[in-house]
Amino acid sequence: MAVLFDGVAFGLQLSLLAVGLTMIYGLGGVLNLAHGQFAAATAIIGARLIEVGFPVALSVISAVAISAGLAMAVDATLMRPVYRLHGEDRVLSSLLVTLGLAFAIDGLLIRFAPFTLLNLAVPGPAFVLLGVPMRRGVVVAALVAAVVLGVLVLVLRVSRWGRAVRSIIQDEEGATLCGIDPSRMRRSVFALSGALAGLVAVTQGLTAPIGATSGRDLTVLALIVTVVGGLGRVSGALVAGVLLGVVHAVASHTIGAVLTFVLLLLVAIAVILLRPSGIVRSAV
Amino acid sequence: MAARRSEAWPLAVTVTALVGLPTLVGGSRYLMTLAISMLVVAGYAVAFNLVFGRTGQLFLCLGALAGVAAYGSVLLADVAGVPLPAAIAVGVACSGGIGGLFSWVAVRRRLGVIFLGIVTLAFSLVFTNLLVGGRALTGGETGLLVDATAGSWLRDRVPAYYVLLAVLVGYLLLDRWLERSWLGWAFRALKDDPVAAELAGVDVVRAKVVAGALGSAMLGLMGALFAVHDGFLSPTGFDFGEIDVRVLVVLAVGGVGSSLGPVVGAVVVTAVDELLRPLGQLRLTVYGALLIVVFLRFRQGLVPAARGLGRRFGARRARATP
Repeated sequence: MAVLFDGVAFGLQLSLLAVGLTMIYGLGGVLNLAHGQFAAATAIIGARLIEVGFPVALSVISAVAISAGLAMAVDATLMRPVYRLHGEDRVLSSLLVTLGLAFAIDGLLIRFAPFTLLNLAVPGPAFVLLGVPMRRGVVVAALVAAVVLGVLVLVLRVSRWGRAVRSIIQDEEGATLCGIDPSRMRRSVFALSGALAGLVAVTQGLTAPIGATSGRDLTVLALIVTVVGGLGRVSGALVAGVLLGVVHAVASHTIGAVLTFVLLLLVAIAVILLRPSGIVRSAV
Repeated sequence: MAARRSEAWPLAVTVTALVGLPTLVGGSRYLMTLAISMLVVAGYAVAFNLVFGRTGQLFLCLGALAGVAAYGSVLLADVAGVPLPAAIAVGVACSGGIGGLFSWVAVRRRLGVIFLGIVTLAFSLVFTNLLVGGRALTGGETGLLVDATAGSWLRDRVPAYYVLLAVLVGYLLLDRWLERSWLGWAFRALKDDPVAAELAGVDVVRAKVVAGALGSAMLGLMGALFAVHDGFLSPTGFDFGEIDVRVLVVLAVGGVGSSLGPVVGAVVVTAVDELLRPLGQLRLTVYGALLIVVFLRFRQGLVPAARGLGRRFGARRARATP
C-alpha cells in the first residue's frame, strides 16, 4: 500500500513532466530534448535565489517564471528556423537542435553550480493516510501536481485558449482557417511547458534534493512517459505518468533502481514497436 | 560524378598526412594517445555517416554499438577463452546484427525518425545501465582490465595507430565503393524521395538494413580494436554523452553525407577538444552551441559551407580581374 501511494505521488509528477513535452509535440511537431534541463535550470535558479536570501515561495515562483520565459525565448529564437521545415525534416532538426540545447544547459549548470541543490523538504511528522505514514514533502508534491494537472485539463476543456490548442493538435490547417494563429499558440504552449518543467523541479525538491545533473534523467523520464502515453496526447501522458509511477515504485522496491530504469526503457521500446500511438485510445 | 572525383585528391592527401603523422609526433606518448583517439572518432563518424548521412536513419546509440563489440569481444576472450580475433569477429557481428535489427524494425514498422531516435536512445541507456548493474561480469563503473592483449604489440601506440589507420582507410574505401555500387544509387534516391525511390524499384528495406548493419559493425570493430589496444573498458567510454555527442559534433563540423568530412571533422574536433580542456564541463556547452548553430545555419556541415564560401569568393575575384 505504501509503495502504491509512493508510486502514485511520483507518477503525478511524471505526468506533469510529460504533459508539457507532449503538448509541444502535438502542437508544433517538434520534440524538446532539453525538457528536463529546464527543470534542472529551475532547480538551480531557485536554490540560488534562496541562498541569496529571498523568501522560499518567492524564489520558487520566480524560478518557475524564469523557466517559462526561457522556454518562450527558445521558441522565439532557436525553434523559428525549425518551424520553417516540414514533416520528418522538422522533427529531425528539432531533435538535433534541442539535443544541442540540452548539452549547452547541462554544461553551464554543471560548471557553475555543481553542488547547488534545491531542497524544499517540509519539516514535521509524517502524514498518516489510510494507516500508511507518508512524508509531508511527498504528499504536498503530489497535491501540487494533482491540482495543477486538474486545472490544466479543465482549462484545455473549457477555455477558449484550450479549445484553440486542441483544435491545432487535431488539425492545424483547419484551425488556421478558423482564425487561430498557430505560431502564437505554439509560443504560449512552449512557455507553459517550460513552467510545467520548472514546477516538476519544485515538486521534486519537496521530495528529495535536486541538482544540476538531474536534467538528463528527467528528459529521459519525460520521453518515456510521453511515448508510452502516445506522442501528442495529453490524456495519454496523464495516464501513462501515473501508471509508470506505480511501476517505478513497485519495481524499485523489488528489483533495484538500475533494473527499474532498464525496465521503464524497455516498456517505452515495446510501446513504440507494438502501439506507436500510445496506450490510450483517444483523439487528443 | 565530378563532385566525387574532386574528393579523391583531398582524400589521398589526408591519408598521406595521417600515415606520416607518427614520424613527426611518434616520440610523444601524449600526442600519440591523442592521435589514436582521433582515428577512433573518425572511424565512428565514417560509420555514422553511412547510417545517418547516407540513409537518414538517426541512430542515437553509437557508443552502445561500439560498446557491444568491445565488451563482447573482451569478455569472450578473457572469460570464455576464445581466441582474440574470433572474439572480435563475434563481437562485431553482434553490433552489426543489433544495428541491422534496428533498421529492419524501423522500416518494417514504418517508424519515423523520432521513434527510431527514441528506441536507439533507450537502447543506449539500457546498455549503459546493464554495464553498471552487471558488476560481477563487467566490473561496473570501475571498469574492466583487458588481459587478452597484455604485453602484446597492440598495446604499443605506434603499431596500434597504424592498425587503426588501416581500418579507417578501409572504411573510407568501403564508403567510396558503396557510393558507386547499386547501394549508392539507392541511397541517393532514398535521400531525394523515399516514396519515389520505392516506386522506382529501389529495395528500400535492403538498402537501409545494409547501411544500418554495416555502419554498426564498423562502429563495433573500431570500438573493439580501441578497447584491446587501450587495455581498459568502462561504461563512460561508451556513454551517450561521451561518444554520440562527439560524433554528432564531428559530423556537424565535417559535413553530413560527404566522404572526407568525418575525417576532417575528427581532426578539427580532437584539436579543439584539447584546446578547450581548461574549460572543463563548459566544453559540453560549446559543443551544444556548435550543434545548434551548425544544424540551423549550415545544414550540410561547416567544411562544405566554408568550401562553398571560398568558391564564391574565388569566383568573385575571378570576375573582378578580367
